[in-house]
Amino acid sequence: MEQIIQTLILGIALGGVFALMGSGLSLVFGVMRIVNLAHPSLIIAGAYVTYWGFRLWGIDPLVMLPVAAVVLAGIGVLLYKLVFEREARSAKYSEMTVLLTFATAMIVEGALGFMFTNTQRVTSPGYATDAIFIGNVFIPMGQLYAGIVSLVIIGALAAFLKYSRFGNAIRATTQNRDAAELLGVNVNLVGIMSFAIGIGLAGAAGALVSFVFSFFPAKHWEWVAVLMSLVVLGGMGSILGTVLASFLLSIIAAFVGVWFGSTWSTMTFFLALFLILLVRPQGLFGEKPELA
Amino acid sequence: MGELLEVTNLTAGYGDGPSILDGAHLSVEPGKVHCIIGPNGAGKSTLLKAICGMLKIRQGDVKFNGQSLKGLRPDQILRKGICFVPQERALFPKMTVRENLRMGGYSLDDRSGLERSIDEIEERFPILKERRDQHAGTMSGGQQQTLSMARTLIIKPAIVMLDEPSLGLAPKIVQEMFDIMKMMASEGITILLVEQNALMGLKNSDWGVVLDLGRTLFKGPAPEVLADPRIQELYLGGKKAA
Amino acid sequence: MTVATKSDASEGVSAVLEARKAYNIKLAASADKARSIWFPLVLMAVLLALPALQFVGNYNYVLHLVLFTACYAAMASGWNILGGFTGYISLGHNVFFAIGGYFAGMIFARYGVSTILMAPMAGILCAAVGYLIGSITLKTRGPSFIISSLALVMIARILFDHWTFVGGANGVALKANDLPVLWSKLPYYYAFVILAAFSVWASYRIKHSKFGLGLRAISKDEIKAESAGIDTRTYKVLAFAISAAFVGMAGAVWGEYLTYIRPNIFLVILVSVNLVLMCILGGKGTIAGPVIGAILITAFNEVFVATLGASELNILATGVLMVVVLLFFPLGIVGTLARNHRLPRILNWD
Repeated sequence: MEQIIQTLILGIALGGVFALMGSGLSLVFGVMRIVNLAHPSLIIAGAYVTYWGFRLWGIDPLVMLPVAAVVLAGIGVLLYKLVFEREARSAKYSEMTVLLTFATAMIVEGALGFMFTNTQRVTSPGYATDAIFIGNVFIPMGQLYAGIVSLVIIGALAAFLKYSRFGNAIRATTQNRDAAELLGVNVNLVGIMSFAIGIGLAGAAGALVSFVFSFFPAKHWEWVAVLMSLVVLGGMGSILGTVLASFLLSIIAAFVGVWFGSTWSTMTFFLALFLILLVRPQGLFGEKPELA
Repeated sequence: MGELLEVTNLTAGYGDGPSILDGAHLSVEPGKVHCIIGPNGAGKSTLLKAICGMLKIRQGDVKFNGQSLKGLRPDQILRKGICFVPQERALFPKMTVRENLRMGGYSLDDRSGLERSIDEIEERFPILKERRDQHAGTMSGGQQQTLSMARTLIIKPAIVMLDEPSLGLAPKIVQEMFDIMKMMASEGITILLVEQNALMGLKNSDWGVVLDLGRTLFKGPAPEVLADPRIQELYLGGKKAA
Repeated sequence: MTVATKSDASEGVSAVLEARKAYNIKLAASADKARSIWFPLVLMAVLLALPALQFVGNYNYVLHLVLFTACYAAMASGWNILGGFTGYISLGHNVFFAIGGYFAGMIFARYGVSTILMAPMAGILCAAVGYLIGSITLKTRGPSFIISSLALVMIARILFDHWTFVGGANGVALKANDLPVLWSKLPYYYAFVILAAFSVWASYRIKHSKFGLGLRAISKDEIKAESAGIDTRTYKVLAFAISAAFVGMAGAVWGEYLTYIRPNIFLVILVSVNLVLMCILGGKGTIAGPVIGAILITAFNEVFVATLGASELNILATGVLMVVVLLFFPLGIVGTLARNHRLPRILNWD
């Protein structure tokens, strides 16, 4: 019984971090219909920003979080302007953008590897290794903090989307781009801003990742399929769905890890992705058949 | 000339494709309902999309109160008071009715005024008040059409363009939509209506405009168009084809 | 309206038939003139004779480069059948590189049967596995398919990393052949050159068959292809299987050539990326495109790894190249030249 509670807690803690990692991906897909395979590599870029702040000046990763978010949001705008804006009218838009984000992931990985080598890094604020014990069940403080911060950020994002004028415009564009444009929404600006917010969320997630996991530039490949499984299970574009899927799959993965060994826990996410493929053959993202 | 909207020699099409409209003319008089009829592929929807700025004008011009609309973005044209309700109704299915109405006033700068006009519209269309916190996607077709027509009133438009408001609706509901449309016209709003069901459209309009092959062929008072035997034969299915 | 008499009508018809025939002959003639068969044949002859260089010195490095390029040309041509003709972009084809490599490699390690002899078997195995996987993942299209193919690599990597029978992450060492150094590359050299030629020839035959026409219809518009009576499911799954077979055959020989099989030589994303990039750079859906792409990308990688020695920079540069090609030359070299009617005859193998 204790072991079950322990596993559950570890799963929930991890789910909180994954939720933030996935929500930016979900936002960008929702508004831009871009399946951003570069998202995990940008999370790692955010982790490096945090790492150097911590290493050079001893700044707490949670304090570095806004910095990482802003830096990455800037990179997001740059990427959008350089790479994705000119594809907006392409006939094979969705396929092209997947390949472009894939190439972007390689660029980010290569640049990070060149600048910072492939050494494993981790930030180690005091709380990262602390834990509180309730009976025999321990709660790792690092993951607990990360999970709480993650949910606060997602809550703020949800409130922004629900109640602000621009947030409404983002949601409207997600649901019906043409209609939003007809009602006077500058959809191009919405695109840039949601790209900035989405990639900014990757930066914020990176700050949390920096003390929850150890990381190196090529690590993002492990996360691509993991994050895809979350976003796909949650329904592409739905942030709430992504959050729920994160908790669900993380908890399942935690139990799989306990019962079958930790190598198989990652497999949970990949198999989930394949299972959804089998159940929803019409496509993960509700692609409509392309009519000429 | 007293025309509110003047379309001259308009050529337009989709993407790099051929021109669907090829030299269309139209003059629109204030406060009247204009029904555009014609066979499939005649360019009726294309005409509306070109006027509202969704399609690029290749040749010719569209003048609103004497000013050219050529090259303006949809949001700029909207701010001039020209509203377009496309066939697919342009609602946000996962936003509430109230939020949909609020999006209707997105182009307005006066935020407090916006809430007041939304309240007014809810008073005029009780069904929208009743369903205000419900997702638009869960409403019936007629209610959705009511919402998208009522939504145009928020910006107090000069012209409202309706693309097949009757699509997919039961005949009884269709008449309700036309009644809303006529009510809007009685308040001085000019209506440009595209209707597949030409008979029904003309009966509820002041002017009839026949569009075919991307050109305007004919414009006349709706009852005359309705009575014209040539029109009857061609577009109204008045005579059986031999 | 004029009413044609009977004789007028038949005269008109025969005139039309006449004109159409002349037009077809002209078309056929211009097609013949545009395509060159002699160039690939000459190229093949040169490549087959190339090892004679070893009589005058040690040109092992040259042979290695040609062999490496041929290996990729074979795989890229195979990938092109699915990615180019059919329009389904797979980032997971290195899974078949691994399956072919492990299958032939393990048989070589256990029973000493040369991987070159086992390559066709490896191809058949990969076709079977590809058929199974394809019948699941090809239900999706566009981005979903691309992601499912990526997930496939992740799953395969975990499985091979933990499969103790094939040595897990450390893999299995394979015995090097006992030919003198000067000639030790020769069997693999010929195996890869012939495999590359075979896959180019097969692509050509497939492209000009009814099957190939169906595949190209699928890539243009799958719904229309289906309504035109093409059994799109079977067609695309078969295309997947065939393309997997070519990648698998290349993988089979590759392991013995390197003298070891290990997950991190087969199941690295760069292998898949190279295949995609070669086809897009050369010209997706053309016959010569993958070969041209293989030559250019192999040269590109060689320059980066040999001169700069940094694999990070290689990844970075590959990414940049891919972005540039996708944004500015989505039709690739052959496709862009052909569109502008500038394609030299020697590069038109279609």
